[in-house]
Amino acid sequence: MSVTEGATGVAAGGGPDAATASRRRVGPYTLITALDDARTKVPVPERRYIARSADGQHTVLLSLPHPGGDPHRFLTEAEGSRYLLGPCASPVTALAAPGEPAWCARPYLPALPLPTALAVHGGPLPERTVRALGVALAETLAVLHGQGLTFAGVSPAAVLLTADGPRLSCFGAVRAAAPDGTPRSGLPGLEAGSLPPEQASGGRPRPLGDVYALGATLAYAATGHTTPERDELPAALRTVVARCLTRDPGARPQLAELIDTLAGDAAAGSAADSAGLLVPGRLPGRVIAALAHQSAAVLTAETSVGTAPARPPRSRN
Amino acid sequence: MPSPLTHDDPQEIGPYRPVARLGSGGMGTVYLARTAGGRTVALKTMHARIASDPACRTRFRLETDAARVVGERYGAGVVDADARAETPWLATEYVLGPPLDDAVALCGPLPERTVRALGAALCGALGQLHASDVVHRDLKPSNVLVTAYGPKVIDFGIARAAGDEHLTRVGAAVGTPAFMSPEQAGGQEHSAAGDVFALAGLLVFAATGHPPFGHGQAADLLYRVQYTDPDLTGVPEGLVPVLVPCLDKNPFRRPTTDWLAARLHDGAGEFADHLPDALLADIARRATEVWQVAPQRLPAPADVPGTAPTAAPARWTRRRLLLTGAGATAALTAAGAGAWAVTREAGGPKPQPAPGPSNSLLPRKQLDSIWQIQVRPDDLFADVMPQGQLHVVDNMVVTVATELTGVVAQTGHRQWSMSLMDSDWEVASDGRRLLGLGPSDDRRAGKAGGDPLLLASVNLLTGELADPTVSLNEFNGELVADQMVCTANGVAYVAAGRGKYVDTTFSAAQTWYLFAYDMDAGKLLWTKPLPARRPGSVRLYFLSGSVVGRHLVALQEADDGTVHAVVRDTRDGTVRWDRPLDGVKAGRVQQPLTADDHRLYVGAGRLRALRLGDGGVAWDTGTTRPGRTYGLPALKDGTLYAVEKGLGLVAFDPVSGRVKWEEKGGQGARADLNAAPVIGTEYAYSKRGSQLWAVGLSSGAPAHSYKTTGDRFIAHENAKAVIAQGGGFLAAFPLR
Repeated sequence: MSVTEGATGVAAGGGPDAATASRRRVGPYTLITALDDARTKVPVPERRYIARSADGQHTVLLSLPHPGGDPHRFLTEAEGSRYLLGPCASPVTALAAPGEPAWCARPYLPALPLPTALAVHGGPLPERTVRALGVALAETLAVLHGQGLTFAGVSPAAVLLTADGPRLSCFGAVRAAAPDGTPRSGLPGLEAGSLPPEQASGGRPRPLGDVYALGATLAYAATGHTTPERDELPAALRTVVARCLTRDPGARPQLAELIDTLAGDAAAGSAADSAGLLVPGRLPGRVIAALAHQSAAVLTAETSVGTAPARPPRSRN
Repeated sequence: MPSPLTHDDPQEIGPYRPVARLGSGGMGTVYLARTAGGRTVALKTMHARIASDPACRTRFRLETDAARVVGERYGAGVVDADARAETPWLATEYVLGPPLDDAVALCGPLPERTVRALGAALCGALGQLHASDVVHRDLKPSNVLVTAYGPKVIDFGIARAAGDEHLTRVGAAVGTPAFMSPEQAGGQEHSAAGDVFALAGLLVFAATGHPPFGHGQAADLLYRVQYTDPDLTGVPEGLVPVLVPCLDKNPFRRPTTDWLAARLHDGAGEFADHLPDALLADIARRATEVWQVAPQRLPAPADVPGTAPTAAPARWTRRRLLLTGAGATAALTAAGAGAWAVTREAGGPKPQPAPGPSNSLLPRKQLDSIWQIQVRPDDLFADVMPQGQLHVVDNMVVTVATELTGVVAQTGHRQWSMSLMDSDWEVASDGRRLLGLGPSDDRRAGKAGGDPLLLASVNLLTGELADPTVSLNEFNGELVADQMVCTANGVAYVAAGRGKYVDTTFSAAQTWYLFAYDMDAGKLLWTKPLPARRPGSVRLYFLSGSVVGRHLVALQEADDGTVHAVVRDTRDGTVRWDRPLDGVKAGRVQQPLTADDHRLYVGAGRLRALRLGDGGVAWDTGTTRPGRTYGLPALKDGTLYAVEKGLGLVAFDPVSGRVKWEEKGGQGARADLNAAPVIGTEYAYSKRGSQLWAVGLSSGAPAHSYKTTGDRFIAHENAKAVIAQGGGFLAAFPLR
């Protein structure tokens, strides 16, 4: 029996990025390790780290814009995400002060980006996991749409798996990447397959674009890529995912219908519900092992102290 | 689960700041603690007064040394330690996984693949210890933490270097009989081969849920470990030839850890691949929960009397419950924390066993049961309380006699126990959670005379009251006849009175009500007045009650002694119908009701089915089988079973009342009509004389029997056990 290395090694403080990260400070935080594993080759809209406050008391998931990205638009979206509701929303709890290099942070929970989870599991996730994931994300988007918001940034990397369900990060990544009216295809950080065509061509993100992106993300979870051949998908998911991925937004399913389809199919026997992925059997064993490994590594991590005067994070709660 | 710091916990210990308590006991306290750089550790401390004993301090140092030897792959990695501090401390990694005994309590016996992977990894751990000339000497389920990456061995309180006389003396007094080696039990040298014996015993426990030499008092266990064969019942076939040589009484004939490892597991796959889902989910929960602990410190207690458990209040008030619960279960709290089990037997002064016979366990071989424990006789409140209440709650069995006792159904482990002397506490369960009803010690005076009525969840791990807890001052919680009728879907159905306390059940000065309280929403749903009872009535308002769909179905005794079936609407408490049941004696139906979505089934005389909708008679053996007498019925998988006097078990179609089969062989003529049968998937269990007989469901003939003192039997489906209560014992038999 071997210990899972690779993707979790990086995520948990192993790999090459970690060595440089450990010396870096961002705002009031010291970086512990990068969250994402570059080896998965899946674009991530922001640079994400596990980091800790100077007093050692607060461990956070820290996000920074890519070099060359627009820090103003990044912070606008981060600010907007502070008010997100829903079971799997991941609202930001602290962000950079005006004039400071851009960053935003939320409390740390052991979490694996979806691409890392697939790498750890050794391939596509089981159908029951995909269904549970789909229901939780769809319910979250439904709440968000009810708030009059569009997520505009659902993608494989935006989905973080935690022990008690997914968390949806990277709020507003599409809007942050380029203003409306500007073509967005090929921009760094945007995963092409989960970018709705109307948004790629510069259209203003609307709720049905989130349905497209969700379909692509579920396709990724079930097959390993966001633009699968029809046959690659589990039979029970084929029709509904294909409908999400239609070019015409009007032909995409409503979220309520999506939730019913993913949760209600008795054939799957999983009765997927938003109670989360903590239900025994919902998360594959190696994904849980990787979460536990990351948790243990971050518990053990010690950030250097006393190198700079401590400044409390600006919390706007 | 970590708990808040108390007001007198230190602000700092060495370079660490305590964040929460993981457990505490006679030896010291274990904290979740952080460095200034945010590193989180499990910090084990030893009380300064204990550390003043040089022998204890030496043992603390030895434990630290042994933990360093085993290292972080197979143990809880040592971060730092100071054995010379006034309060000696040891900082280790915070291990994310349950102790093996908790894992088995959670998941039941572990699958063979898990046992094999676990065993092979533990062979690696022991191999490493033995290579460093260290022998563990106290390997047992509570000292093995199961993480996603493999087991970790902890608590080296009595580990010692082989042949070191001084250390032998220091550690001599401790050890756990259930997993001791024969040579250790006999006071001889326990070498590396002794650890192999203990490991095999531990794997028997993991695979079956029972230790290889059963449960019982230390003296019995010491005898059995040395002289009797291990009980390998339930051990998967493939494991038997691997484990048997390790359990040889002669240490020189036992194999090495390498031999054992090679036969247990081929090393394929990752450790997590071999773990059952429920265990993985528990590990995931622990990995996440530790990040949700907010530093919290409890204020100093406001009044001294509240902290003096010796005051022994006469009633089981809320305070008394909390104190009793906390004292009795500190060990469990520590174990749940997962890092170190200071309060378990391994370290320092052992927890005092409860006095009297109630704590003793009988040797298993004489009894045929899976387990059997003694409980106090239950005849004191026989008239008032339904005799010998038994509740299945989650993985536990809760018995109500003169004590309220929570027992783990799988193992017979007595998790907690409270005396009910001088008290009228009641409990009810919907199978998942347990609710308690009794007098509150709320400072606000009750409006209804006496203390307010307290309605609370009971924590199944500790027996303590837990949230949601509600104090209702419109009812008098001191009244003897306050009654928990039943609970379902988070709603408690309670009969409670207003007016002055009298030491009989009812008085003319009291008024009585039935109410429904939604525990989760914290809302009183409805209250309905109950008719007055004659002062001096011996029984409570309800003989039994149960919720079926939107029906609250109950049997009640009227003042003229007749038993009525009464069905109420759960939404507003209105009575749908009320029907007298002729020929039914109240004393014989104070047991759980049998009903399905459509009908209520009543035995104890004629057997009859009443429609829930209107109370009409669906069928009645008074017509179809006139002159026959039945015990209480039981329903399972669309068939109704009851014991017929002079014949034995009879299976009925619940819809038509048509007989499906009758017991064959004539032996059923001796069947006890007072105990409802328990139905498994292959057998029905029914008491005859002092034996519990298993009658084949397909053959209709008695197959085998168990000796029992029980007179109440219920099924614990998850533990696959028939639980028996009576004659001062609680016991479990296989349910098949």
